[in-house]
Amino acid sequence: MILVLSLTSCGKEKKQALPNATERFFVNDFAEILTKDDADKICTAGAALQKQTTAQAVVVTVEDLDGKEIDDYALELGRNWGVGDKEKNNGIVVLLSESDREIYISVGYGLEGALPDSKTGRIIDNYGIPCFENDNFSAGLTGIYNAVVNEVYIEYGITPQDNYIPIDLLPEKQVESPSAGKVLISWLILIALVALYGLIFGRRGGMFIFGAPRFYGGFGGHNNFNGGGGFGGFSGGGGSFGGGGAGRKF
Amino acid sequence: MKKKGLIILIAVAVVLVVLISSVASSYNGFVDKQETVNKAQSNIEIQLQRRADLIPNFVETVKGYSDYEQSTFTAVTEARSAVTKAVDGGDVAAQAEASAQLDSAIDIWVNAVTEAYPELKADKQYLALQDELAGTENRIAVARKDYNEVVQQYNVSIRKFPSNIIAGIFGFDKAELFEADESAQKAPTVDFS
Repeated sequence: MILVLSLTSCGKEKKQALPNATERFFVNDFAEILTKDDADKICTAGAALQKQTTAQAVVVTVEDLDGKEIDDYALELGRNWGVGDKEKNNGIVVLLSESDREIYISVGYGLEGALPDSKTGRIIDNYGIPCFENDNFSAGLTGIYNAVVNEVYIEYGITPQDNYIPIDLLPEKQVESPSAGKVLISWLILIALVALYGLIFGRRGGMFIFGAPRFYGGFGGHNNFNGGGGFGGFSGGGGSFGGGGAGRKF
Repeated sequence: MKKKGLIILIAVAVVLVVLISSVASSYNGFVDKQETVNKAQSNIEIQLQRRADLIPNFVETVKGYSDYEQSTFTAVTEARSAVTKAVDGGDVAAQAEASAQLDSAIDIWVNAVTEAYPELKADKQYLALQDELAGTENRIAVARKDYNEVVQQYNVSIRKFPSNIIAGIFGFDKAELFEADESAQKAPTVDFS
C-alpha cells in the first residue's frame, strides 16, 4: 500500500510538460476565450512593441493550471519560452486561467522598473477586473495588454499609442477602454471625409476619379494586415524572469 | 639512445600539459560554479533586504489609521532587524530562519490591522504595498529555488571523481542548500484577548 502511494506521489511530482508557444507567439489562447479581433489586436501590438523596443509581451490563456500556482506557471512559461531579449530580460507574460479565475502578470528582470508589482496590480485592477467580473475575458486581457505595452513604451521613451494615459496619472479607478461608439464615430467621420474628397475632386477631372478608389483600396490592405496569416515566425529572445509581477483572483 | 631520451622527455611533457590543462579546466569550472552560487545567494539577500525595507512604507500607510496594532507590530520590528542582521552575516541557514519569522510576523500584523480597519483594503496605497510585498515574497521564493539548483550542480561537480581530488586540493567546500524550516514558517498562535 505504501509502495503504491509513494509511486503515485512520484508520478504526480513529475514535471508536467508546459505547452509550447503558438506560432503567433504573442497570443497563446489555449482556453479559446479571445475574440479573433482582440487576438489580432494583441498580435499587432506585440509585434510593434518588439520591433521598437526588443521587449516581448505574451498573452497566455489556459483552462486550468495543472495544479500549479499561477505565479510559478507564468514564470516557467516566461523562462521556458525565453520571452524577452536575452541581454535585456525585457519579457512579460500575461497568464489567465479560466477555471481558476485567476490572472497573473509576470515581469522579466529588465522591466521591473517600468512595471513594479504595485503598478502591475493596478493595471489588472483598472483594465482587467471590471471586465473579468462579467466574464468578458477577451476585453479585459486586451485592455491589460494595451496598458502593459504602453507602460513599456513610456519606459523606453517612446510616445504611447492610442492616447494612452500612464496609469500613475489616472485619478482613480476607471476603466479606459475605447467605447464601441467612439470607434464607430471616428470611422464614420473618416468615411464621410473620404466621400467628400471623392465628391469634390472627382468632379474636376478623370484623374481623381481613379484616385479615390485607390484610396479605398488602401484601407482594404489595412484589414489584410490584421488577418492571422502574417504573424508566424516570432519566437522568444531568451529573456529571464525573477518572480516579479502581480496577480488577482476574480 | 639520445633519441630515445628525447622521445621520453616529449612524452612526459605532453602528459604534463594534458594533466595541467585538465586540472586547470576543472578548477576553472569550480570557480565558475562557485561564482554562480555566490550570485544566487546574493540575489536572495537582495530580496530579503528589499522586503525588510518595504515595511517602513507599510507603516507610513497604516499610520493614518490611528493606532496600528502596536502589540503585533513589535514582533515585526524585531523580526525585521533580525533579517537585516542575518543578511549582513551571510549565513544561509540564519537568513532562512530570520526571514521565516518575519513572514509570520508580517502575516499576523497585517491580519490584525485589516481586521481592525477593514476600510484599509480599499486604500490604494495599501493595495500597492500588498502587491509589492507579495511580489517580493515571490522573488524570494524564486531566488531560493534558483540558488538550490546551482548549489546542487556545484555540489555534484565537486564530488564527482576525479574532480573531487582537485576540489579537495584547492579547498572547494560543499555549499549549503537552502532548506525552509517548516515549523518556523507556520505562524505561531497569538492570543489577542
